[in-house]
Amino acid sequence: MKKTPLSIGFAHLSDCAPLVVAKERGVFEAHGLDVTLRRFEAWSPMRDALGMGTIDAAHMLSPMVVASAAGLGPFPNQFTTAFTMNLNGNAITVSRALYAGMEQTAPEILTRRPLSAAVLKPLIAQRAAANEPRLTFAHVYPHSMHTYELRYWLAAGGIDPDTDVELVVIPPEQMIDALSLGQIDGYCVGEPWNNVAVISGIGRTLITSAEIWSSSPEKVLAVRQHWASNHAESHAALISAMLETSAWIDRASNRVTAAQIASDPQYVNVPFDELVGSLSGKNRQTGGTLRMDMPDFNVFHRYAANFPWLSHAKWILAQMIRWGHAPANLDIDAAARSAFQPDFYRKVASDRGVACPIPNEKVEGAHSSAWVMTNATAPIAFAPDRFIDGRIFDPENIEGYLSGFGIRASAPRFSEADKGQAITLAR
Amino acid sequence: MLMSLPPTLKSSGSKSTTPSSVSDVNGGTAPSAVLPLRVLVVDDDAERAKLVEEGLAENAVVTMATQIHGRPLLDLIARLQPDVIIMDCQSPDRDTIESLRQVAQSNPKPIVMFVEEEGSAFMQDAIEAGVSAYVIDGLKPNRVRPLIDTAMTRFRVMDGLRSELRKTKDDLAARKVIERAKGLLMERQQMTEEQAFSAMRDMSQQQSKPIKEVAQSVIAIFDLIGADKKPET
Repeated sequence: MKKTPLSIGFAHLSDCAPLVVAKERGVFEAHGLDVTLRRFEAWSPMRDALGMGTIDAAHMLSPMVVASAAGLGPFPNQFTTAFTMNLNGNAITVSRALYAGMEQTAPEILTRRPLSAAVLKPLIAQRAAANEPRLTFAHVYPHSMHTYELRYWLAAGGIDPDTDVELVVIPPEQMIDALSLGQIDGYCVGEPWNNVAVISGIGRTLITSAEIWSSSPEKVLAVRQHWASNHAESHAALISAMLETSAWIDRASNRVTAAQIASDPQYVNVPFDELVGSLSGKNRQTGGTLRMDMPDFNVFHRYAANFPWLSHAKWILAQMIRWGHAPANLDIDAAARSAFQPDFYRKVASDRGVACPIPNEKVEGAHSSAWVMTNATAPIAFAPDRFIDGRIFDPENIEGYLSGFGIRASAPRFSEADKGQAITLAR
Repeated sequence: MLMSLPPTLKSSGSKSTTPSSVSDVNGGTAPSAVLPLRVLVVDDDAERAKLVEEGLAENAVVTMATQIHGRPLLDLIARLQPDVIIMDCQSPDRDTIESLRQVAQSNPKPIVMFVEEEGSAFMQDAIEAGVSAYVIDGLKPNRVRPLIDTAMTRFRVMDGLRSELRKTKDDLAARKVIERAKGLLMERQQMTEEQAFSAMRDMSQQQSKPIKEVAQSVIAIFDLIGADKKPET
């Protein structure tokens, strides 16, 4: 039988593992797909390649798809996803110099876990008083979980990310150089780039993204809306192959093999020992000193991880509004529905006998310990979904949620072009 | 106005403008339509950046940034306040530039991708040429379009030069291999130069392989046999 050719873009990060493992273990082929994987060095070129149809699907930052669905950026209303690739997986790392400064100025806060960004406050005040440049933190792309996790953590610690510190965008592999040269003081990035800084002694990891928001959606398998409606069969085969691979990769015993495959020069292209920790979850650093095993550092399948929750998309949209990256009058419901397609996921997953949640959204942040969802085709075990500040995100009351934040952008910060696109959508 | 730039930066003023009229851009006194646009070419490929710069220098004030990334790149942009940024569309630095879409203290005017106003056919062209361009939001497309077209042409010219160079290098390398194989045949098999060459040409025709590959196998075989032994024929 002739196989359907598909070209899929990926970034060289640990969480591209399901794609490269599906390719190397022949899972795509078994599902009738002839997949070519194409590596991208940055997010904008990958976004353009998907938008222009150079690739059919992409390992994409979940907020990139949400931004497109909200009418932001150069491909408004064009991207969608029916598959979340992984939960968690990012971390915030700072330079040795900044850590030493924190030990001097806030030794007491430094002992608490999860570490509050309030630990930075004395240093920020010192710099402001001495008229020195503000602390600079980097992330990888304006519409990314890294941005929103970094902003959430800072704001939860009483720091305004827009006025108290400076935020810049730097590609992941330049982060280490920028940190060691003192161009930036810290960053929020995916793996292996936190681990590399810790191993080399250049930086210390202060907090993992799972401690900022447990079970947060990280990468999704993005496709064009137009492609999804015209190639439903290929799309279903792709998701089916990804479900099979994600279940395989989620078993602890398979993570080392996955790390071996992913570390290959044509994929993530970093030494195996720098990559394996982020996939096995072993020996992770947090709090700047603590070393511990975090089996949920990356979640690829369990806890219904692949289900594209509308509440996840809505949380991202709420953060976009909070920080002035999207207009306050945006139709959040419509944007979330166009970004994430739980119905399509449910159809494919049910065919494979994978348990699915019945609702499309849930209250986020309500569980601080493991729980079981019974409103599902079969009971599903879930990990905690708490936020670092204990806030609850109710997708039915986003306005109330947003008004609860003391720290938020006072004015819209998106460009005129984006404003035009988004307002057309809001109508 | 560009005296303080690091050594990797070079600026070439528009030939039709004096430096004083350029600084009027900042003062905002002269009508902006008559002033040349300020273009920043961000490209780690110094040769290509030079080629693009030469193409644009007639009609714009061009600054080149090579091997400048992240924070220093943003600082440079904040200082120069360019109207147009031209770069390789696969460059990781694009993610850094994308952050300028959002209004920040360092960039009071948001920067957008040029193609957003020009449509997808132009975008396809630009991607094929390998060019990405960012412009100050609200800048008239007809002012920028000729600059981008020039940049695209120059990118293509560079591609052409590179593949030409590659072909020349390949040809040279092939000639070297053939010469060496010929030499081995002459030395070890006591052939004349003409015999050696026609032997290889015949093998090439019989096996329908390029003569370079035949020459490579000849060399490999002699390597196997070793330098000292001269096989009897």
